[in-house]
Amino acid sequence: MANDVLTVERVSKIFMPNIVALESASLNVRAGEVHCLLGANGAGKSTLLKIIAGAFRPTDGVLLLDGVPVELRSPAEAARLGISMIYQELDLVPQLTVEQNLFLGHAPGKFGLIDHKERRRRSSEALRRVGAGFSPDARVETLSVANQQLTAIARSLTMDAKIIIMDEPSASLNETELESVFEVIRDLVRHGVAILYVSHRLGELREIGDRVTVLRGGKTIDTFDVASTGDEALVEAIIGKERSLIERKTRKPVTGKVALHVNRLRGAEGLDIAGLEVRWGEVVGLTGLNGAGRTSFLKSLFGANSFEGDIVLEDKSFHPRHPAHAIRRGIGLVPESRKTEGLILHAPIYKNATLPSMNRSWLTRHSLQKQRTAPVLESLSTKYGKAEQAVVQLSGGNQQKVVLAKWIINGARILLLDEPSRGLDIGAKADLYNLVDQLAEGGAAVIVASSELEELYAACDAIWVFHEGRNIGRYDPSVTDRDTILRATILGENHVQL
Amino acid sequence: MSNSESALPSVHAHAPGLSKRIADLAIEYNFIVIFLAVVVIAATLSGNFLTFTNIANLFQQAAVVGVVAIGMTFVILTGNIDLSVGSVVALCGMLVATLLSQGYDPFVAVAITALAGTTCGAAMGAISALAQVPSFIVTLAGLVSFRGLTYLMTDGVPVSGLPQGFAAISSTMVPILPGFAISSMGLIFIVLCILAGLVLRFTVFGEYVFATGGNPEAARLSGLPTRLIVTAVFAVSGFMAALGGILLTSRLRIGQPTAAQGLELDAIAAVVLGGTSLFGGRGGVLGTFFAVMLLQVLRNIFNLLGLGSFYQMTVTGIIIVAAILLNRFIDHRKGRG
Repeated sequence: MANDVLTVERVSKIFMPNIVALESASLNVRAGEVHCLLGANGAGKSTLLKIIAGAFRPTDGVLLLDGVPVELRSPAEAARLGISMIYQELDLVPQLTVEQNLFLGHAPGKFGLIDHKERRRRSSEALRRVGAGFSPDARVETLSVANQQLTAIARSLTMDAKIIIMDEPSASLNETELESVFEVIRDLVRHGVAILYVSHRLGELREIGDRVTVLRGGKTIDTFDVASTGDEALVEAIIGKERSLIERKTRKPVTGKVALHVNRLRGAEGLDIAGLEVRWGEVVGLTGLNGAGRTSFLKSLFGANSFEGDIVLEDKSFHPRHPAHAIRRGIGLVPESRKTEGLILHAPIYKNATLPSMNRSWLTRHSLQKQRTAPVLESLSTKYGKAEQAVVQLSGGNQQKVVLAKWIINGARILLLDEPSRGLDIGAKADLYNLVDQLAEGGAAVIVASSELEELYAACDAIWVFHEGRNIGRYDPSVTDRDTILRATILGENHVQL
Repeated sequence: MSNSESALPSVHAHAPGLSKRIADLAIEYNFIVIFLAVVVIAATLSGNFLTFTNIANLFQQAAVVGVVAIGMTFVILTGNIDLSVGSVVALCGMLVATLLSQGYDPFVAVAITALAGTTCGAAMGAISALAQVPSFIVTLAGLVSFRGLTYLMTDGVPVSGLPQGFAAISSTMVPILPGFAISSMGLIFIVLCILAGLVLRFTVFGEYVFATGGNPEAARLSGLPTRLIVTAVFAVSGFMAALGGILLTSRLRIGQPTAAQGLELDAIAAVVLGGTSLFGGRGGVLGTFFAVMLLQVLRNIFNLLGLGSFYQMTVTGIIIVAAILLNRFIDHRKGRG
């Protein structure tokens, strides 16, 4: 117990009126280890993190820091005691410089005057420790997500953090970027900093984690040594019963005609796609590093980004200038961020689900909308209370189904899914890809963009690799192994020509 | 998926008791509760308050701000704001007076004025939506320019000598109950409230207004013509401001270029007091109606008590802050944080 930096003892959190988010959860983090936290959506991970970071106060239980009980009244107090939280949506101020961000709220100086020399010295020091290749004078908005991540870590260092909490740092990083973040984490751990690392991905955990604690239904199930525990045991702890990861099923050969043929599509930031086509009943995957152009390609097809080019949709040329044009031709987009682009969070489920299809008359008929929503949500096996419920009350997987329902209700036959599984737990992901499979079975043409190659590998008939705005290779996952595709993703065209 | 839900036991597991349902309703429609409370206070303070004459007066006095506030509700529901309405009221009030004094038929004059107000609103909305400029700035420019235009029209001189028939628009007494008649402008306010409520609730346009305010990007990616919707709500606001100007001129029987200064703030205060979120997507015209009447009743109480407008202004401000705090508290309780 001597080297436990942080001990969480039987902590509970009950939200009014009677929602139990955490029930007697316990956890201990040692100095110099990477301690991972695993759990399905709704398992209580974020609640636990927020309690440790001082954003929530526990209903019951104690936190010990270096063996001393502490009561954290605010995130600022937690930070003073050496607990630093890096949120998924990095809470940096984009308009300020790296240096200003590093010392936001705790700038060195006296009487409200900033000691610039000292700040420069200490920020250079912190940036050196995270191996940053950018200047402290760079504005944060000009940095890549990975460099912003490094800035956030450096910020933790300037606060002399003993324990750094990282909430899904990998969500917005590609694999090479993630590797550089891991390098930094390993270095910090060597210097005695403890890391509490939250992720959905078992692969990452294997690479970086020392021990892992699994949460389920607000309770801590167990803490495992990463090295000596198999994937099956972890997955079982997460979901409570044996359930295999997504596996590739043999798919029937696609026989449908060409639904959409992109001869050429050129857009902003070097997007240049040529010769990509989708057939009816086919699931085409798009993979690539972040910034490879997957999202802007899908948004262009959907009329939300402007482009030049030549696209043929069902034997007729197609050039949407507004999402409404694409929607009229039977296209639906499930955008990358369901919260900011896909849903009106506090609006009822049925209004969200019928939003695109409302324009068929002047008047709204609420009962008709509910009637049209119910069977579709049913067929997607969505779990919800009432159609009038605000969509924000649903779990992530069910929210995603409402976004999908929008297009199914509207009769879309070409579905563009942009990172549809982001933030979903393993069960919800499997569910989602089953739906994709069913939709394709029913004759729809589906394009799925994802940074998780495993998923595409399991679900798609063909996988296109995007690299720096271009589609550089098409692979058939039934004959190509995963590593070949992965290498093309990282190395780009040079590799393909070899 | 079952495990995703396990941490969140259903909130609707038990049918809530009647008293809890009433409490929920009272919280949801707190503006009605507050309104009734203020009415009770007013009635105890003065025996004259609950007389038919006084009630009819309340509606008449509330009508101009009320009509403008209906238009403002549409704008604020999309997450925008219209600061120009006071100036548009004055501009349209002067325009209709000038047209009438030049011998135009009242119907023609009213139609031209309504069209002018709508155009002013639509133009500002279109600039804001197409150029992606915050509506705050565009309509602030409108506030200044339209007021200037109002003065330019007659060099700042009021226009009088309007035909008798024109006054009838605002002050025809319409019997509603035996012994209770309400002026036509009060009635116009009530009817417009009902119409606006129906539009918001039962038309696709109304649904689009809420959607655009709730999440503009999600609305756009659902194929909604969001720019057109923003333009349209400003057109509605301009149209309502034109009606407000027509009613004002009809009641005053002169076109007064200095009229309706600061009216935009009264209208915004009423909309927000009525529970419509300044961030858009939440609220409605029912709240606006009660808030307009609430502010009018307050003014009425102060008048009945013989306290001047300085007191009124101070207390009105305090009540607005209190109402906003109450709504924040309710949002927090519902977990909308």
